[in-house]
Amino acid sequence: MTVETSPTPYTPTLNLPPDAPSDEFLNQLLRQSEQQKVNIHTEISGWLQELRQRSAYDVTKQRMPSRKDEEWRFTDISELLGLTFQLPQSGELTKNAIAPLTLPEAKQTRIVFVNGIFAPNLSDTSGLPEGVYAGNLSNLPLDNCYEAIKYIAYQDGDKELFTALNSTGFPDVAVIWANPNVIVETPIHLLFISTVEEQPSFTQPRGLVIAEQGASLQVVEHFAVASDNQCSDIPKNRPYFNNNVTEVFIKENARVNHTRNQRESGDGFHIGKTAVSQEKHSHYTCNAITLGGKLSRHNLHIWQKGESTETYLNGLTLIGREQLADTHSALYLQYPHGVTDQLHKCVVDDQAHSVFNGKVHVPQAAQLTNAGQLNRNLLLSPKARVNTKPELQITADNVKCTHGATVSQISADELFYLQSRGINAENARNLLLDAFAGEILERLPVASLQKVLAQCVACRTYE
Amino acid sequence: MTATSVKTLVNQPYKYGFITDIEADTIPRGLSEDVIRLISAKKNEPDFMLEFRLKAYRQWLKMTEPDWAHVGYPPIDFQNIIYYSAPKKDENKEKLNSLDEVDPTLLETFEKLGIPLSEQKRLGNVAVDAIFDSVSVATTFKEKLAEEGVIFCSISEAIQEHPELVKKYLGSVVPPGDNFFAALNSAVFSDGSFVYIPKGVTCPMELSTYFRMNNGETGQFERTLIVAEERASVSYLEGCTAPMYDTNQLHAAIVELVALDDADIKYSTVQNWFAGDEEGKGGIYNFVTKRGLCKGKNAKISWTQVETGSAITWKYPSCVLVGDNSVGEFYSIALTNNKQQADTGTKMVHIGKNTRSTIISKGISAGKSSNSYRGLVKVGPKAQGARNYSQCDSMLIGDTAEANTFPYIQVENNTGNVEHEASTSKIGEDQLFYFAQRGINTEDAISMLISGFCKEVYNQLPMEFAAEADKLMSLKLEGTVG
Repeated sequence: MTVETSPTPYTPTLNLPPDAPSDEFLNQLLRQSEQQKVNIHTEISGWLQELRQRSAYDVTKQRMPSRKDEEWRFTDISELLGLTFQLPQSGELTKNAIAPLTLPEAKQTRIVFVNGIFAPNLSDTSGLPEGVYAGNLSNLPLDNCYEAIKYIAYQDGDKELFTALNSTGFPDVAVIWANPNVIVETPIHLLFISTVEEQPSFTQPRGLVIAEQGASLQVVEHFAVASDNQCSDIPKNRPYFNNNVTEVFIKENARVNHTRNQRESGDGFHIGKTAVSQEKHSHYTCNAITLGGKLSRHNLHIWQKGESTETYLNGLTLIGREQLADTHSALYLQYPHGVTDQLHKCVVDDQAHSVFNGKVHVPQAAQLTNAGQLNRNLLLSPKARVNTKPELQITADNVKCTHGATVSQISADELFYLQSRGINAENARNLLLDAFAGEILERLPVASLQKVLAQCVACRTYE
Repeated sequence: MTATSVKTLVNQPYKYGFITDIEADTIPRGLSEDVIRLISAKKNEPDFMLEFRLKAYRQWLKMTEPDWAHVGYPPIDFQNIIYYSAPKKDENKEKLNSLDEVDPTLLETFEKLGIPLSEQKRLGNVAVDAIFDSVSVATTFKEKLAEEGVIFCSISEAIQEHPELVKKYLGSVVPPGDNFFAALNSAVFSDGSFVYIPKGVTCPMELSTYFRMNNGETGQFERTLIVAEERASVSYLEGCTAPMYDTNQLHAAIVELVALDDADIKYSTVQNWFAGDEEGKGGIYNFVTKRGLCKGKNAKISWTQVETGSAITWKYPSCVLVGDNSVGEFYSIALTNNKQQADTGTKMVHIGKNTRSTIISKGISAGKSSNSYRGLVKVGPKAQGARNYSQCDSMLIGDTAEANTFPYIQVENNTGNVEHEASTSKIGEDQLFYFAQRGINTEDAISMLISGFCKEVYNQLPMEFAAEADKLMSLKLEGTVG
């Protein structure tokens, strides 16, 4: 696919229905979305306008969730509601500024979006093989564009508040698209950078990943802030709100290995959605790493759209200070012979609060399903909190489904065992922590990322 | 197995579905402050009780019916329920002096249910409080228990004779405004059992309450209160049945348990309310609040339940572990068939240090039923060294039944240890084949497999009830696998 020059920015109108939301905060975000310029081919502007109208309508019918809503019972977002957001004003970054965020494995397979907008100067896709596209929607040839818009916002669950909100105001769309039977060996680095500004800013990045029949892709989705080479974990009282959505479509026999590395700054509010649909005989692996953000929520929804699909979900949440990290995953099985396996681990330090909710729906049609789920939580401090709720809903009888959850501290027995072998208490503790996190990290397909994250684990948890 | 024999087995009638034709003292339908005053007056209650009821009623008016449970039913018209119905008593006699004075029709009813109230016929070691619609008709072995200082009587009697105890403990575990159905119960509860075990006493026999709902339009709102003083110990069992009606009846009960230092309460339930027919018509709505408070150190409360009846079950026997080293246990079998819906489980709230809890839940769903386990394990910030182990197993029989698990785990203390496991399985062809090889037919094989699946819970029931429960389960399941 050839790269064209960017079309001129286009600002669609967003006529709110007369009964605009009674929710003041939502109204504020919608007003911001209204002004969002979008780079897009003029030929498909009609589609965009319609999408934005439809989504705005869905948003106005809802209100911001509170702890009275079952889905948000343990996640208090009131701090977010107290802020006034505006669209980011700047968005220029230099190659040097993003150097610490890049991956050596994906030097020439990287696309960068700053505040949700494609940054061609920071991206490099020269290493991609024939038959795969990585870039934004407006650089996609028009014919492909017509095809792409059949996917955007067509995933189930698009009416959910934050997803619909994203659809009303995404500034650009990151597209990764592999043609049938194309196997991409190198990981594709999809880097979403937020710039921190004086005023709290509001960005809504959007991603679209399509693996056509028999294609195979590795995607590293990475959320970060532009920082001055210091660790961005330390809060500097510069809040921003990142409401992102990534839709993944996996066709027959295709494979996607998706790593989602969330490294927002200590001031960031991050509400993210990963919506995946899998056709028959497809594989999907998600490695969701959550380290950043003051408050973060990851909604991971997977729909099986064919038989014999395989889904592997690995999650690692490592939080401290007053961070809150919430993962809500939902697996909707609909066909026989599905295999799913989920392992979500959390390490919670200081006064942090971790929330996990894992739904697995096995309706009558999904016979011979083999579904496993395990959530393990490690509490490192007396004030750390965990809320976990693994959920199974099963109507098929010929299935094997298990789930488990544990909450504990570092076991005294294990420490003693290591000490009895001459390892001092401090090293023993660190070793156990490394191993706990390592179980997930070693599943990451990119070695350099494993190394960086292992260092972060050490930096955060070692005494 | 042939199709016809499956059908005949599935259509096994509900054995306890008969109606007793008895003259009843029934108040008009509907609920208002006047109705509550009337109930209170009929029972000749002291003022504090009327106050308690009115306060609960006023709270209830402000509450909305909960909708978070995984069950569906048409809205209940609370004004179309009769809140008080009692077998008519002889006006001249204020109080029954002995069992001989109880209406013989009533005694017959309980006889039919397999609960003979005359003490000679009864197994020597079980005392029974029989409750018919809204009132307690008889309590056996009262004198023998009194010798040990144990009080076992209906709650109305306790209100008259031991008001200080009732006043102290009633509503102390489940406050009137706890939830919608608890508030309703607190406002209109008619009768129930009261047990008080004094310091250091081990109750010499099993205590038991038998609930029978007879009137088709009454709701049953009973209230049980069990208090075990320091070092006291008691084992208590409740059983329930109701006639078959086309309409749904509401049963909203409250059970409160209080265990002081070193006390031990074991509460077992075999619930077999009418579950409605295969089409899901009729049956009891069983919306019950059961909670035990381990108030003292080293106290222990153990719930065992075998839930086989009711059209809808909404019930979470809970333990609040306040005392240090206290123990909470929950053993449950929930069986649903046809169109029954059950949303049941437990709450273990760890507040004191070194508190421990165990949850073993077995769910069996057959037919088109839905069976959900919903549990909460909460470890508070001060519950140092708390420990919980939960295990929820579901068995699905047929591919139209639904089994769900919704465990909530909330931990706010890093010295706690919480483990939860759940699994789902079915009776496999290979298992049945194995039995068949050894000459055991399918029906027997299933019944044995179910017994094995539920064994951990049966082991917790008093001996004779375990046998009864096992029989009940196989009866309920006959013909579901063919």
